[in-house]
Amino acid sequence: MEMTSGWSLFIIVIVVAHIIGYSYLLWSTSKMKSDGHKEGETTGHEWDGIEEYNNPLPRWWLFMFIFTIIFAIGYLILYPGMGNYKGTLGWTEENAWAKENEQVLAKRAELFSTFIDKPIPAMIQDEKAMAIGERLFANHCSTCHGSDAQGAVGFPNLTDNDWLYGGEPDTLVQTITNGRVGVMPAWGSALGDDGVKQVAAYVRHFSEEGQDEDLVAKGKGKFAMFCAACHGADAKGNHLMGAPNLTDATWLHSFDSGRVESILLEGISGKMPAHGNILDEGSIKVLAAYVYSLSHE
Amino acid sequence: MSKHAKIEKNIGLMGVLIALVVSMGGLVEIVPLMFQTSVIEAHPNLKPYTALEFAGRDIYIAEGCYNCHSQQIRPFVDETLRYGHYSQANEFVYDHPFQWGSKRTGPDLHRVGGKYTNEWHEYHLMDPRSVVPESNMPGYPWFAEKLVDAEQTAAGMKVHAKWFGVPYTQEQLDSAQADVDGKTQLEAVIAYLQVLGTAIPRSYK
Repeated sequence: MEMTSGWSLFIIVIVVAHIIGYSYLLWSTSKMKSDGHKEGETTGHEWDGIEEYNNPLPRWWLFMFIFTIIFAIGYLILYPGMGNYKGTLGWTEENAWAKENEQVLAKRAELFSTFIDKPIPAMIQDEKAMAIGERLFANHCSTCHGSDAQGAVGFPNLTDNDWLYGGEPDTLVQTITNGRVGVMPAWGSALGDDGVKQVAAYVRHFSEEGQDEDLVAKGKGKFAMFCAACHGADAKGNHLMGAPNLTDATWLHSFDSGRVESILLEGISGKMPAHGNILDEGSIKVLAAYVYSLSHE
Repeated sequence: MSKHAKIEKNIGLMGVLIALVVSMGGLVEIVPLMFQTSVIEAHPNLKPYTALEFAGRDIYIAEGCYNCHSQQIRPFVDETLRYGHYSQANEFVYDHPFQWGSKRTGPDLHRVGGKYTNEWHEYHLMDPRSVVPESNMPGYPWFAEKLVDAEQTAAGMKVHAKWFGVPYTQEQLDSAQADVDGKTQLEAVIAYLQVLGTAIPRSYK
């Protein structure tokens, strides 16, 4: 952050010249000597009947000016202001932040110490931990998962104990730390338009009766061929791949038949951003516990 | 005539002297910064905006996003806890003009890059309340239909290269128009948002 000595000198000269100049100005104007007018007399100027006294500054006002000059000198000794001179306090904006940050981290460590070593299923009984988790969730998670954690189209509901990657405590920590990338490939060219309709009908028949039976029957065979590898032969999904369970009534994107078909045609990807580079381990554990608490007593 | 009366009765002289007094603060606080390397040299990880990001930035300015969103994280712990690493001057040297803003009706956006997925931004720009029910941000549904003005983007990049010294390669300038041709405003704005503040890791822990 150093500047060249030329610029440093430039600043010092102007600042010192100002302090001396203003001191002189105060000293010279505080004395009665102008044009022979005495205190209490007017200067003889008159504007629309308004005349001007020629009194010196009131004492208290003058002292205020003197105080600002003394303050400036004190400030310039303690804090950086004179070019490259760093000030006797060694204050910088950066280390002021670092110091405050250290205090916050120490306070947090102290705050966390009563519950952070507990396993997550036990931590959810700790009111303080859950209050902290709720705040962390509001700041880091709620924009996608919602402040009530019930998600939105494309963003999973975290309260229903229905998981894409698994809801075990360690899995939650993994998910928050490293994020997740879920990819459903496009099947349009493999299935063809008819195939897409058949598979869509098969997938939807688990949750809604009244699908065209012919389509469902044909879709079943195609599902076994193309979809079972990730979603499982029973269509109950696979936590290792993040493949959703298709047999329950929980739909991340939409249950609408047109939407299911378009996802089959074009594929879709979902991404949970990694938070390991943003949050410390303790906060991640508290967050995981909070998320765990949303679906566990 | 006293000196005081001379200055008071000669408006030209008084104007010059006023200008001199007023300029002193700037001479001490602003002018030296213009020559200080930590301020005028780009952060080593900072890259000039690509054509698509550049177009997105133009839309960001045109829509007045800066009226509600700042792009400056101050070095206070409450800000760095929420937004990430505080902003540094050398992250903005390719911004002409910078988008620091001065008002936060919405959150600060300086380190929003990578915080959300592209899909989230799509939903959110189309209809903010579809993902954040309590949001009071207006939706920008026309972003998805309107195309980027490719010609203007390419011309703007040339101005930045020629007049503001942004180190674009000739290749980047030549391909700029083709790079953004046919792209929607939505793609451009998201590309811009996703690169914001990524020169320095968000991490504060």
